[in-house]
Amino acid sequence: MAGNTRKRASRRLARERIETLFKRAAEFYPENPEWSNRCVALARKISMRQRVRIDRRFRRKFCRRCNAYLVPGSNARVRIHRGRVIVTCLSCGHQSRYLLVRSRHG
Amino acid sequence: MITPQNVLRHELIGLDVLVAAASNPSHAGISGRIIDETRNTLVIQTGRGLKRIPKKYSTLHIRLPDGTVVEVDGSALVARPEKRITMRIRLEG
Repeated sequence: MAGNTRKRASRRLARERIETLFKRAAEFYPENPEWSNRCVALARKISMRQRVRIDRRFRRKFCRRCNAYLVPGSNARVRIHRGRVIVTCLSCGHQSRYLLVRSRHG
Repeated sequence: MITPQNVLRHELIGLDVLVAAASNPSHAGISGRIIDETRNTLVIQTGRGLKRIPKKYSTLHIRLPDGTVVEVDGSALVARPEKRITMRIRLEG
């Protein structure tokens, strides 16, 4: 890709920081969901700047439109429809659809 | 993993910190958990509420997850959090 995309150390740091931030988001959520949203926003900025993909397990935990940290049952509605999981962000109404590809438990 | 070598570039949110010294006397002694970070400030949750302190004029004792406490000159941290990752560290002594 173009130019100097930062050194390997920066990218490794970026991955660690993103993971840390999602952990913090989970910790902050019960008392201060706004802090969780800020963690998500920061994680996304770091991922964009360092060109590092957010891990798949975190990718579904936030709303792409409004950066809300999504907690099913609390600010997210999770439904299954025709082989797809539909997650609705209750803060902004944005929906994400994910394909159910393989069964995880046996 | 956060080490004293990379603490300047790593994530500060969630770490426990003590403001050991500050040019503003009312900032010295503030301790708690870092909640947010901007280019020039750290937002710390203390027993007495949220405190926003400037980085530039403070000396910070940061407790890393493994227990080590690192003393940091706040002015080395002045930068937007997403930009801090790319900082080149120049250590003197």
